[in-house]
Amino acid sequence: MGNQTITPGPVPAAATYKRSGKSRIEPTLFHTFNTVFMILLVVVTLYPFLNTIVVSFNAGNDTIRGGLYLWPRQFTLQNYKAVFASGTIYDAFLISVARTVLSTVLNIFLTTMLAYTLSRREYVFRKPITLIFVLTMYFNAGLIPGYFLMKDLHLINTFWVYVLPSMISAFNMIVIRTYIGTIPESLVESAKIDGAGEFKIFWRIIFPLCKPVLATIALFVAVGAWNSWFDAFLFTSSRQELSTLQYELMKLLSSSMNANSNPAVANGAGMTQDAAVSMVTPLSIRAAVTIVASVPILLVYPFMQKYFVVGLNVGSVKE
Amino acid sequence: MMEETLTKKPVVRKPKKGKRQPMTWSLIKNQRQLIWMSVPLLAYIILFSYVPIWGWTMAFQDYKPALDFADQKWVGFKHFKFLFLDDNFLRVLRNTLAMSVINLVLGFVTAIVLALLLNEIKKVFWKRTVQTISYLPHFLSWVIVTGIVATTLASDGIVNDVLMKLHLIKEPILWLSEGHYFWGVVGASHVWKEVGWNTIIYLAAMSSIDPALYEAAEIDGASRYKKMFHVTLPGIKPTIVILLIMSIGHILEAGFEVQYLLGNGLVVDWAETIDIFVLKYGIAQGNYSLATAGGIFKTVVSVTMLLIANWIAKRLGEERLL
Amino acid sequence: MGGKSKSVIRLGMIMLLSFSFILAGCGGSDKTATSGDAKAGNEASGGSGEGKPEPFEITAFIGEAGQQPTPDNKIYKKIKDELGVTFKFEFLAGDLNQKLGVMIAGSDYPDIMTGNTKLTAAGAYIPLEDLIEEHAPNLKKHYEKYWNMMKDPNDGHIYILPNYGAYNGEVSSTWYSGPAFWIQKAVLEEAGYPKVKTLDEYFDLIAKYKEKHPNIDGKPTIGFEILNYDWKNWGLFNPPQHLIGHPNDGSVVVNDGKAEIFADKDYAKRYYQKLNEINAKGLIDKETFTQNFDQYLAKISSGTVLGMFDQHWNFQNAENALITQKKHERTYVGLPLVYDEGTRDYYLDRPALNLNNGFGISVNAKDPVKIIKLWDRLIQEDWQKILSWGIEGEDYIVNEKGRFMKTQEQRDKFTDATWKLANKADTLYSFSPKMQGFFSDGNATDGAAQPEEYQAGLEEYDKKFLKAYGFNSYVDFFSPAPENPIYYPAWSVDLVEGSEAKIVNTKQNDLSTKFLPKAILANPSDFDSVWTEYTNEIHKLNIKAYEDRINEVLQWRIENWSVK
Repeated sequence: MGNQTITPGPVPAAATYKRSGKSRIEPTLFHTFNTVFMILLVVVTLYPFLNTIVVSFNAGNDTIRGGLYLWPRQFTLQNYKAVFASGTIYDAFLISVARTVLSTVLNIFLTTMLAYTLSRREYVFRKPITLIFVLTMYFNAGLIPGYFLMKDLHLINTFWVYVLPSMISAFNMIVIRTYIGTIPESLVESAKIDGAGEFKIFWRIIFPLCKPVLATIALFVAVGAWNSWFDAFLFTSSRQELSTLQYELMKLLSSSMNANSNPAVANGAGMTQDAAVSMVTPLSIRAAVTIVASVPILLVYPFMQKYFVVGLNVGSVKE
Repeated sequence: MMEETLTKKPVVRKPKKGKRQPMTWSLIKNQRQLIWMSVPLLAYIILFSYVPIWGWTMAFQDYKPALDFADQKWVGFKHFKFLFLDDNFLRVLRNTLAMSVINLVLGFVTAIVLALLLNEIKKVFWKRTVQTISYLPHFLSWVIVTGIVATTLASDGIVNDVLMKLHLIKEPILWLSEGHYFWGVVGASHVWKEVGWNTIIYLAAMSSIDPALYEAAEIDGASRYKKMFHVTLPGIKPTIVILLIMSIGHILEAGFEVQYLLGNGLVVDWAETIDIFVLKYGIAQGNYSLATAGGIFKTVVSVTMLLIANWIAKRLGEERLL
Repeated sequence: MGGKSKSVIRLGMIMLLSFSFILAGCGGSDKTATSGDAKAGNEASGGSGEGKPEPFEITAFIGEAGQQPTPDNKIYKKIKDELGVTFKFEFLAGDLNQKLGVMIAGSDYPDIMTGNTKLTAAGAYIPLEDLIEEHAPNLKKHYEKYWNMMKDPNDGHIYILPNYGAYNGEVSSTWYSGPAFWIQKAVLEEAGYPKVKTLDEYFDLIAKYKEKHPNIDGKPTIGFEILNYDWKNWGLFNPPQHLIGHPNDGSVVVNDGKAEIFADKDYAKRYYQKLNEINAKGLIDKETFTQNFDQYLAKISSGTVLGMFDQHWNFQNAENALITQKKHERTYVGLPLVYDEGTRDYYLDRPALNLNNGFGISVNAKDPVKIIKLWDRLIQEDWQKILSWGIEGEDYIVNEKGRFMKTQEQRDKFTDATWKLANKADTLYSFSPKMQGFFSDGNATDGAAQPEEYQAGLEEYDKKFLKAYGFNSYVDFFSPAPENPIYYPAWSVDLVEGSEAKIVNTKQNDLSTKFLPKAILANPSDFDSVWTEYTNEIHKLNIKAYEDRINEVLQWRIENWSVK
């Protein structure tokens, strides 16, 4: 460390750093490289999503030929019509929003509270509780015992089965705990001296300071809750009115695949030339389904982002 | 002067030794608020995560869902034997470890590098744009991503096109027909899909770095790289270490979807993972016992690896999990 | 810090919003629960007399994906109005095995469930034979010829009502959806419409055409495609049994009621060696073993693929794409190839009873009698016409000769999935017992099988093509199906989950997936050594366990299925 000699130049004011005279070339070179790299990255990561959008707006019978890249060859809204044709999707959307919001709020509150207690080094149960939570990341009791638990708790076919089993994530707890570790301990200590209780310290001091990491965790939880379909599949599949958006879309997708590849039907029923000439194919339905499923949650991101993507340099952090 | 500012750690609390107090009633009473805030949650996790572990008994039975627990047939280690004694077990284990290590290393390095580079972008709008776009592939299913990977790597795909145009190859390479390429293709696909998503957590960690450290470094005339290596990186080190320890515990989680979707008869010796094996001979055969045995094996390995990683971190004086 | 109070408010709003959703959800659930109870009470009070329908709800688990019909669906409404029955379908999306595991473990069954051997083995269905004898004369008549086949090999009870394969009258079809060696019509056209019988002739035609046309529409011509992706493995595995004149029995060939695997036999070797040979000539697509299903379809629909072995329904979408591009000469004819001139082809088979498909009544069903009576009503001709053709005048027309016909508009509607959700009861119809063949008035039970309908839908190109061969439809390329052997088909034998037979079968498939591509792509001089390695690996497996299980069931079928 520091064995390179750097001639301390005239001290530049922080605000004028960008123009600082030390090495004009280095930042420019770096910036050129960085910009080019970022542009490449944007191209490479935007492409799959863009391509999916293109496929979702292209006629299924044409998409099947392949070679579709950045622009639809035969524009159609047919795929989206097929997705929105079933009325069930609107109710499912509301259920998805409700479970996502509720899960996120509960998770953030409970996980942070737990993380706070476990960040306190003097806490006597710190180690055992941490261990018990950490281990949950590495085992899975299996489908059937899990099902029995939900059944015994009378959660099958209720909305709560989406929320209650996943109110705390050990991974998120550890991430938050690590973040709390970077907050100066003196803050907690001085609050204690002022006579603040633990909950008050947590809620008034730690919680607000954790904003960046909480925004991240909120995003993780929200995306997880939004995308999950397995609980709907296992626990609420006989209650149509509790179905979630993801599960409805999944049913739609599998049924379109099914309609196109069902040996049982082909065996006896005799598929007709007519019946098979349908505009929608699994490929195009999948694309439309993906867009419908992901756009709502993608819209959340910019709101969370402002908490953790800040400008690096001095000025912007301080605000 | 500069050395001084730079070596000053951005308030990372170092584990202190020998501070442990004996557990006494007065201590418990003192900490009752902390207890109230955590013990109910402990009860919660025991109920939802630990109670169902009775299901592990299935691994030692020929479990039939239609029968009551008392009527199940106990078979000892039969299912573990089936798993471990299969001719393919070692190969499958090798593939799982190889792909998981590749994913782990590539995943960490690319995410951290990208986070550092993003952090260097000054225009907030551009930074946010790059961030937002780079995480989009996370929302695509593996079916879609592997579909695009397959098209990209096809004999008339863009990768072969570019290589041909650059005269690096004379004939298109069939990337998916060679076992040697398979792990790399899987690793690259993971990076492509997840790198943007994985940076989020580091960006959040970076936001906690005390701006005063940068100011001080600047006053010292530290170069961009100096700041990156001596301020930013140490600032996110606790996060990196913790995530690394947790990931090492997942060493047997190489997944199955990508391998299943990209694999084919020609590369099957490189593509099959433990998860695929267990799916094929477990769930797909209605053999829940084998699936459970596979799960137990993975848990044992996971917890061992986790404890080792944690112990190493402790020895190195780094942030640790437990 | 002014933002703080705002964010608190926002948080509160979000909480409020989410709780109101939940409350709304709970309210809804209470309502349905009570109405369900009310129904249960009603139904107990009286039997079902026709004409005076009492409301009755049937909950159904459908073991495959599907879409909920619209709430005001025309046909379901008619059923509700006239028969008093409403349905609550639960469709599956996700892994069937996982779902069945928890259903069985928890004994959480709805009234009826589509057929599944795991559910049968778990005792989830009630025996139906007495119920049918007593309450369902029409169903009894419908299944008369098939009664013994429907019995479960393990305990002799009937648990499941098969949905397809119970025919009345002669079966004639104009559409072949099964396996064949497919060839582009253009290849046959250019060769002057030859009759192609053997594998050698087939590849010669392809080779000649490819030589003459190295490119089609600017893209390199592909001679032959072999698809082996995911569970779609028949393109690689199945041809040998057909080439020696046997029907599709899955991975065994049955001679005199005795099944044996064919993967390791010399006649299998002959096929793969032939593929090895044509690969050396560059006729096989280089990417054929690495492609996924979408890439396979893309190639076919680009019109550059001259031939492949496949089942018709599998590449149907690609053929449709060719039709929409008006490339009719690039669509396909199925050829029933054999090795030797003298072998009679046996690709086209008579539809067998679709065992383990259809539905059964669960042990939890509230009123099995009412359920069986409903289907006894639905199997009658008037309802069969409604379920298959729709409503007369709206969905089809009856011409002066009494024949059922569709206008082009009606035909188009039947291909529109969205329209069908509101106007057809496809879910119900597909798992229900159904009349197949002809109604008593001579109309086909299935719109597509009505000969006039087929001819009306035929393209000019195909009319010309068929005329050149003197055929009525593409089915005429196949030899007429002989009477099925009693035990047919062997592929429907239930191997029993987790049994040695099933594990051996899985392992054998793994070996074929791994070694066959290797053998085909090998240098011709290395073919033999790869083949020997492959068969050695197969022989390490306990193939006997697999064959024994199949033979056990075939034997049982021979003893029990014979019509008395």
